[in-house]
Amino acid sequence: MHLTSETFDQNARDALRDPVLHGALRNLADNFVERRRAAIASVDDWEGLREKARVIKEQTLCHLDRYLLQFVENAEKAGVKFHWARDGKEACGIVLNLLKKRGAKHVVKSKSMATEEIHLNAALEAEGIEPVETDLGEWIIQLAGETPSHIVVPAIHKTKAQIADLFVDKVGIEKTDDVDVLTRTARNILRQRFAEAEVGISGVNFGVAETGTIVILENEGNIRLTTGLPKTHIAVMGIEKIIPKFADLDVFLKLLPRSGTGQRLTAYQSIITGVKRNVTDEGPDEIHIVLMDNGRSRMLAHPVTRQSLACIRCGACLNACPVYQQVGGHAYGSVYPGPIGAVITPQLIGISKAKQLPYASSLCGACREVCPVKIDIPELLLHLRAEITDGTAGGAESNPQRKRKFTESLAFRMYGFAWSGPVSYGLGIKAARLMQKLVVRDGRIGKVSGFVAKLLPPLGAWTAWRDAPAVAERSFREQWRDGLGNNSQWSVVSGQ
Amino acid sequence: MKVSVFITCLVDQLCPNVGVSMVAVLRRVGCEVVFDERQTCCGQPAFNTGYRNEAQKFAKRFIKIFEESAAEAIVSPSGSCVAMVKHFHELFPTDEKWRERAGKIAARTHEFGSFLVNVLKVEDVGASSTGRITWHDACHGLRDLNIRDEPRRLLKNVKGVEFVEMSNADVCCGFGGTFSVKFPEISAGILDNKIESIEKADVCAVVSGDASCLMQIGGRLSRLDSKVKPMHLAEILACQNHLR
Amino acid sequence: MTEVNGQTVKQDEARKAILSSIRAHLATSAPFDADWREHHGYASEGVAVWEPIRMAMSSAALAHVFCANLESVGGHCTVVADETEAAKQVGKIIDQLDPRRIAISNSELIGRLVERNAAVEIVENAHAEYLFDCDLGVTSAQWAIAETGTLVLESDRESHRLTSLVPPVHLCVLRAADIRQTLGEILELASRDLSRTVTFITGASRTSDIELTLAIGVHGPGELHVIVIAD
Repeated sequence: MHLTSETFDQNARDALRDPVLHGALRNLADNFVERRRAAIASVDDWEGLREKARVIKEQTLCHLDRYLLQFVENAEKAGVKFHWARDGKEACGIVLNLLKKRGAKHVVKSKSMATEEIHLNAALEAEGIEPVETDLGEWIIQLAGETPSHIVVPAIHKTKAQIADLFVDKVGIEKTDDVDVLTRTARNILRQRFAEAEVGISGVNFGVAETGTIVILENEGNIRLTTGLPKTHIAVMGIEKIIPKFADLDVFLKLLPRSGTGQRLTAYQSIITGVKRNVTDEGPDEIHIVLMDNGRSRMLAHPVTRQSLACIRCGACLNACPVYQQVGGHAYGSVYPGPIGAVITPQLIGISKAKQLPYASSLCGACREVCPVKIDIPELLLHLRAEITDGTAGGAESNPQRKRKFTESLAFRMYGFAWSGPVSYGLGIKAARLMQKLVVRDGRIGKVSGFVAKLLPPLGAWTAWRDAPAVAERSFREQWRDGLGNNSQWSVVSGQ
Repeated sequence: MKVSVFITCLVDQLCPNVGVSMVAVLRRVGCEVVFDERQTCCGQPAFNTGYRNEAQKFAKRFIKIFEESAAEAIVSPSGSCVAMVKHFHELFPTDEKWRERAGKIAARTHEFGSFLVNVLKVEDVGASSTGRITWHDACHGLRDLNIRDEPRRLLKNVKGVEFVEMSNADVCCGFGGTFSVKFPEISAGILDNKIESIEKADVCAVVSGDASCLMQIGGRLSRLDSKVKPMHLAEILACQNHLR
Repeated sequence: MTEVNGQTVKQDEARKAILSSIRAHLATSAPFDADWREHHGYASEGVAVWEPIRMAMSSAALAHVFCANLESVGGHCTVVADETEAAKQVGKIIDQLDPRRIAISNSELIGRLVERNAAVEIVENAHAEYLFDCDLGVTSAQWAIAETGTLVLESDRESHRLTSLVPPVHLCVLRAADIRQTLGEILELASRDLSRTVTFITGASRTSDIELTLAIGVHGPGELHVIVIAD
């Protein structure tokens, strides 16, 4: 069963009760956070590099039409065929059409978030073509009939033992706890798939406008095989993958591996500029690039949302996020989980279908700190929250009020009134002091349940895990009036 | 220096001693302290939940009140609320005049610890206490205001106190405003990692710069009957055991 | 356009729709751009200018740095004085591996270095299906990056895309003079006459997809040997 973004809170609660997932997430945080820290230390000016990347991305996005056309023109000169897709359905249709025309029965695929996003596999399977995922993690997920739970390590939620059981069940190996044996099993089976494949489908990490080049990074070698062995190579790329110059790779090839896996470079980079020149050369006869919008161009409408398109899919924000570390990727109900998922998913599938995601953050800012392209994810989350409550993301005065969640909206109106001036504020506090007599014991509020919790749901939610402080006998302002305001009073010793 | 204190709602009503302590420390280092009783809230709860219209009202109110003050600096015992003041301009994306006013107020507003170290250039405020303590980096102070060394320097100068770093001091406590009650289970999961770090550090107090984090951490410590006390930076800097 | 008429029309429509959507949405963002840029401290014009850092290091020193970095990612590296020594080293590695079949690229250097004998079958420019049965692939590399221990293969100068990839062991011979210190220098050199495919190789094929445990040799070679010729 695939989870949806709409039920994030329930998904999260289920995830929190899964001890296996917790072990895996702790392993992820311990490993990747440390590896990243070590890897960025090997760059002299990491901050300067991030800044450069951010400026390059911002400049590109502000003139995306121009750079896209330049990219297409140069790649076409080198023999690449282009296909434009407004949405996922159109993109799937294009790929399917290309496969059918070539009578392709065997298709290999390398890891690509863009194809996950549009559920390409399902679309092809519905027409009787089963593309074989060749990235080890993706293959595991495909065998298990699941979805990835991490951008970089899709099967992070599964243990070695679970994977071994899966292999015993699906490909008939002997039970093992040896990762090398599991890996070799995948190698041997997938080699046959590579050998027979007529078409290879990949994603794209970067498209260089200046040269019409596509660049794909990996560690396993399956992308080199996917793009190098079959007669036809189809690359599916979002329109935001463009960088202007070949030299810009110097920036992004330093940032991406270090942020993603903590490597100085991944094992392989395939830098592909067009099809082969002579029939006897190596490589596919034809290369097709599917340029996909699927909700991306909409994000250009505001500088805050535009940042979403700078993402290079490194996964660093997932690893750093305290919320992701608690609930894992599946809870987000989207191929893009974690902080970046919480901002991209609502924009891609529509805010009404992912209303909880922008709130699924403590706004701690750890994501912003690690982001190699300096996306201000908290700013984006706040922007989307405003969009959800008021439709005022563009600015407080720009839009009429939308339909709000009634109780929350009422609460905020009451708070707005109570805090609007000293008189109403004082009255509110007096009421709180009176009411808290019901629940305060020894100067604190313990677990609140029953009637009071129903009356004040936030207090119930808070005190399920934590005691709450009581409203003070004498507020600061009362103490100020009672003598604290006298500047000659020099030493006040706090109660230790 | 004349300082106008911005006390924040949480401090005013739930832990006034933090405000009282901050006033004491500011006076001790030679500041003249004023408090405008008209002040209420910075509007952060509304802003962070997406209620920008309400947030804008709070921002305008805050700006008007503090514009009237002749104080050179506005100082607050909360990195989070100060960060909100720095966000004010975002509430007026197309209103040049208000944006300018917001910017001017933001420039005058400082978090307490950062104000001592960076503006007053004071690292030893003459405090003394006892025991082993650690520091929890409140996220907004750390990542919005870039306050990392300042509180540590201040704490290391408290006589009689042993300062230790806990593991993951810079990781969120799980509070996150309405997040803590919208997703209480996740918030509590994050919090328990923090509690684990605190207990491992074997301290008698965990010190931080934001009352909200202390409410979250302290609430859990209290529920678990821990011996560790949550303390605000202002409270420990106000301690002068040697004078007792 | 090779597609049928209907498809072409639809494609043209999609292309126009996407481009105009990009332009329309960019126009909407304009009123907010200035404030946002100011807040984040970004200039509104001027893409960062790229200048590769050039290090004045001898090729011997570069070879040393290259080897150290390659070995740090699990590669095996030997520096030899000249081609004669290189041929010996190639022979030694082949003896150790004891392969039944060796695939070699069309590089002249490799042709000279790999000794023909009856015991081993040597195939030059093998077909893909044949490569799956080879135990060793031998190629040269056009460039190398010292700071990362990376081999750089340009497809227009040698047919080595699959020979360096499919067999379980990859042996690569490289001239020290072709090593550069930084990624930036190599990108500049490669861009002068950009090959259809440029491949960067840093160590053996690897994965951490199962419990983040490192496993070597998943789809590409599990072993990488590099011989650097110093002269």
